[in-house]
Amino acid sequence: MTVGMSLLLLKLTALLYLVATASFVFYAFRRDTASRLPPLVLSGGFVVHTLALAVYFFQDGYPALMEMREALLFKSWLMVAGYLLIQLKYRLTVLGGIIAPLAFLMALASIAFGSGSGEIPPGLKTFWLPLHVTLAFLGNAVFALAFGVSLIYLLQERHLKHKRMTALMKRFPSLESLDRLNYLLLVWGFPFMTLGILTGSIWAGIYWGNYWSWEPRQISSGIAWLFYGALLHGRITAGLRGKKAASLTIVGFAVVLGYFLWGDAIFPSRHGGRFE
Amino acid sequence: MHKEIFIVGLNHRSAPIEVRESVAFERSQLLAALARLRAFATIWESVILSTCNRVEVVAAAPENHRSIEAIKSFLAEQRSAAANGALDEHLYSYRGADAVRHLFRVAASLDSMVVGEPQILGQLKDYYNMAQEAGTVGTVLHRLFHRSFFVAKRVRTETGIASRAVSMSSVAVELAGRIFDHFEDKTVMLIGAGKMGDLMARHLQRCGVKSVMVTNRTFERAVELADKIHGSPIRFDDFPRYLKLADLVIGCAGGPDILVDAGMVEKVLRERKQAAMFFIDIGDRRNFDPGINAIDNVYIYNIDDLKSVAEENLHERSSEAEKAENIVQEEVESFIGWINSLEQVPTITAFREKLETIRQREIAKSLSGGLKDLSDKQRRAMEDMTAAMMKKIMHGPITHLRKNTESEDEMLYVAALKRLFDLEDK
Repeated sequence: MTVGMSLLLLKLTALLYLVATASFVFYAFRRDTASRLPPLVLSGGFVVHTLALAVYFFQDGYPALMEMREALLFKSWLMVAGYLLIQLKYRLTVLGGIIAPLAFLMALASIAFGSGSGEIPPGLKTFWLPLHVTLAFLGNAVFALAFGVSLIYLLQERHLKHKRMTALMKRFPSLESLDRLNYLLLVWGFPFMTLGILTGSIWAGIYWGNYWSWEPRQISSGIAWLFYGALLHGRITAGLRGKKAASLTIVGFAVVLGYFLWGDAIFPSRHGGRFE
Repeated sequence: MHKEIFIVGLNHRSAPIEVRESVAFERSQLLAALARLRAFATIWESVILSTCNRVEVVAAAPENHRSIEAIKSFLAEQRSAAANGALDEHLYSYRGADAVRHLFRVAASLDSMVVGEPQILGQLKDYYNMAQEAGTVGTVLHRLFHRSFFVAKRVRTETGIASRAVSMSSVAVELAGRIFDHFEDKTVMLIGAGKMGDLMARHLQRCGVKSVMVTNRTFERAVELADKIHGSPIRFDDFPRYLKLADLVIGCAGGPDILVDAGMVEKVLRERKQAAMFFIDIGDRRNFDPGINAIDNVYIYNIDDLKSVAEENLHERSSEAEKAENIVQEEVESFIGWINSLEQVPTITAFREKLETIRQREIAKSLSGGLKDLSDKQRRAMEDMTAAMMKKIMHGPITHLRKNTESEDEMLYVAALKRLFDLEDK
C-alpha cells in the first residue's frame, strides 16, 4: 500500500462528506423531498472513510492513532458511525446536517495536518494504546453527537419561544425526544470517557511510573470529566434538563474540542505524539 | 330616508389582542350596550359581535357619515379606562356593499384567524339572537344576518374550505407535538369551561391524552364538563396546587384576570423538576401572564400566536378560498339588489301614483270642459285609451328599474326618476 492511496481515499472521504453536507442543507429547505438521500451519501462517505482507516492500519501494521491526522480520522469515523446508528433508530435526519459538516471539517483538517514519521516508539506498542485511545475517542465522539443534538434542541426551542413555525422546524423531532436522546448520549459517553481516563492513567502508571502526573492533557480531560459528571449528576438528581442541559452540553463539548485542537500547542505535553 | 348598512370594528388583523380585549363586551353587558346604541338617533338597527378575534358593530342607519362616527365613539366609550393609545388606528369601517361583503366573509369563516373554522357561525347566530332579544334588529339586519347564515352554508357545502379547515385546536396540537414526543403520558389542565377549551381538550384526547383536569369558577360547570369528556373536576381555588401535574394548560376562563403568573410557574416548575409545560391561552381574555414565556422549558401561546402559525397552512387552500370569495360576491350582489329594491318599490309606486293623478285630473278637466258632451261609451273608450297610454309610457322606466336591481348604478336611476318627476318620499 502506498501513502498516495490512503491520501486519495482520505480526499474522497472529505469530498463525500462535503456532498452529504450540501444534500442535508438542500433537504432542510425543501418542502417535500425524500429524506433518504442525505444519510445515504453520508453512509457512502463512511464506507470510504472505513477503507481509508483500514489502509492506514495495514500501512503501519498497527492501529493508526498516534498522529493528529489519524486521531482526527478515527474520531470522526466513530462520530459518523454513532450518527448512522442513531439515524437507524431515531430517524434524526437533521442531526446529519450538523454531523456531516463536522465530519467534513475533520477530514479536511486531517488532510491538512499531513502525515508524520508514522513511527511509534516501541514502548507504546502495547494493547494499551488502542484500548485507551478507542475508549477516549468513543467518549469524545458520543459527546460530539450530544453536541449536535443539543444544537438542534436550542434551535427548536428558539423557534418555539419566538413563535415561528418554519418548514425546517417540522423536520425537527420534539424537544422531549431531543432531550431524552441528549441524556442517553450523556449516559453512554460518560462511562467511555471515564474508562478512557482510567486506562490512560493505568497505562501511564506502567509506562511513566506515575498514574497521575498533572500534565496538561490529564488536567484538561479531568476538568471535562468533572464537568460532564456534574452535568449527569444534575440531570439525574436536580432535574437539570431542557435548555440549560443542552447549553451545558455544548459548552462541555467546546472544552473538549478546543483542547483537542489547540491544547497541545498551548501547553506542550508529553502526551499524544510528543514524547521526550 | 334611505337606509344603509355600516360595520365598524376591529379584528385579529387590525388590532393586537390587548386592544381587542380592551373593547370586548362581556356577555352580561351586551343587552345594556345594545340599548345604548338604540339611543343614538343616527343608528336604526344594530347587532354587536364580540368574539376573541373581533369586536364589531353591525348597523343599519341613515345614509350619512355621522353613523360611523357615532359607532366609533360608542366603541371608544366601551374601552376600559386602563387602556391607552389611539383606538381609531385599529378600527375599520365598511358601508353598503362592502359592509355586506364583510359580514358574509365573517360568517363564511373567510375572515377568521383560522380560515374555515366552524365556530364563528354559531357565535354570529348567538349575537344576532341577543340583538333580537334587545329589540335592535329590524327588516334590514334581519335579512342581512339570515342571508349571511345562508352564505356560510353555501360556502361550506360548495367549497373545500371547511373540510380542510385547520382548526385552532389542530394548530395547538401541532405545536404541542414540537414540544412533547407523545401524549399518552401527558396531563391536560383545562381552566375555564369555554367552548374553545372544550374543543381543544377533546382534540388532545383524540391524540392520545389520557388524563384531563377541569376547573371552573362555578364548580358545577367543571363537574358537568369533566363528566362529558371523562376528566376530573377540580375546585377553582385548588387548581394552583394541581398545576404541577399538568403538562398542557389550556386557559379559557372568560374573566379579565391573570390566573397564572410567572412566579407561580417558576415554583411549579421546580416541583416538576423542570419538565416542560405548554400554556395555551385561548379565551376571549388572557388568563396567563405573557411573561411566562421568559421561563426556560415553558412555552406559552395565545390566540395571536396560534394565528401566525395557522397562516402557514393558509397558502395551500387559496383556490378553495377563491371559490368561496366568488360565492360571497354573488350573494353580495343579490343582497344589494334586495336592499335597493326596498328603495325602488316605493319609487315605482310613487311614479305610478303621480301619473295616475295627472291622468285623473286631466280627464276631469276635459270632461267638464270641451268634452262634456261625450257619450258613456266614448267616455269609457277615452278612459281606456289614457290608461293604456300611461301604461305604455311607464313600461320602459319600470322594467328598466326592475332589471337593474342588481347593478350598482340602480340607485342612480331611482334618483333620476325621483328628480325628473318630482316624486316625494312618503
